Amino acid sequence: MVDINFYYLEDATLSNLNRIFNSADIPFIRLSKFLDEAPNKIEPELISEEKIGYYNRKIGNALLEDFWKSSDFNDFLCKATGLKPKFRNSNHVSYSPGDYSLLHMDESEASRLLVVYDLTKEWRHEWGGYDIYTSPDKDPLVCNRDFGSLMIVKLDSNDLSCTRYVSIKSHFSAHIDRIIYDLD
Amino acid sequence: MRKTEKVLLVKAFPYPHVIVKDFLDESTLDLVIDALAGLEYDFKESDLFSYWASVELTDIDHPAINILRDDLGDELWRKKVAEAFSSKPLSSIDMAAYVYGLGDFLLPHDDQVEERIIAYSLHLTPEITEDMGGSLQIFNVDENNNSKIADSIIPEYNSLIMFEVSKHSWHQVGEILQDIQRLTVTGWYHG
Repeated sequence: MVDINFYYLEDATLSNLNRIFNSADIPFIRLSKFLDEAPNKIEPELISEEKIGYYNRKIGNALLEDFWKSSDFNDFLCKATGLKPKFRNSNHVSYSPGDYSLLHMDESEASRLLVVYDLTKEWRHEWGGYDIYTSPDKDPLVCNRDFGSLMIVKLDSNDLSCTRYVSIKSHFSAHIDRIIYDLD
Repeated sequence: MRKTEKVLLVKAFPYPHVIVKDFLDESTLDLVIDALAGLEYDFKESDLFSYWASVELTDIDHPAINILRDDLGDELWRKKVAEAFSSKPLSSIDMAAYVYGLGDFLLPHDDQVEERIIAYSLHLTPEITEDMGGSLQIFNVDENNNSKIADSIIPEYNSLIMFEVSKHSWHQVGEILQDIQRLTVTGWYHG
């Protein structure tokens, strides 16, 4: 099992995270170097997943599936967000050159907490592949790729998320563990 | 003026589409490109696309644009297009100019909006080649929503591409891979 960077477990830090998360337009925090040691070898078994006009990507089991389900991580989420998230599912998702996902209102879901752990190495912004979150009447939130960062975002029923088209000039693929927690 | 007065054989697979080569005569082409070069373009970006777009060209009163609007949308041509596609009569067109630069793209979509019958795109970039990107790629989509590129059409200078708009008409503009400006006039024939 992996460990959370001790800095993020200190009371003062957690209190700050909670404040920042709940004061954001779209509740969001981004935590760089979230784990003590980020996984280095990323070779999950993936299958292609396509629904034209919606997404084209590869998907498999989350690399850190046990950790995302663990009580340690759940405790951390509760303290950092002030919410009571319940684990729903986790996946490893990869976006290769030419892959994308798009925003569609018909994919709207109930309120949920979305956690993205970034396993993308040596990325360049111009390759795209960044995450976009939208909420009615609010500015969209754009999260660039950054290896080892954890992103936590609360999405309400009309909020949407997608991953920007990856340029076919990209030398690599974007890799993330994507975890969804239900909220009461 | 139009150089071509015929809409040749419409290909049926994966959905009805046709390429009309040498659509405009040289002098009209020069005037139209000069007029389009003088327009302002706004950068438009979303999860689906990235490109520069002009204002709606049906709102502009400019001699060359007026000729272009007639060449693409006069009654005689609309009748020929409707006959070629065996569609219902086409009553009007809309049109705008689009410029795709390095890195720009338009991801898969089907163009379905009420009253759009035939989509068209007149390509105005000289000497464009496949390795520059920007091909119009049309998809064959199976019942599981899995796609395969059925045709990748290089947007040759002065070629007019048209296709029938339906739930099957999935297409995209491939990413521009070199420092070019892919210029088109694009729009729809309405019923």
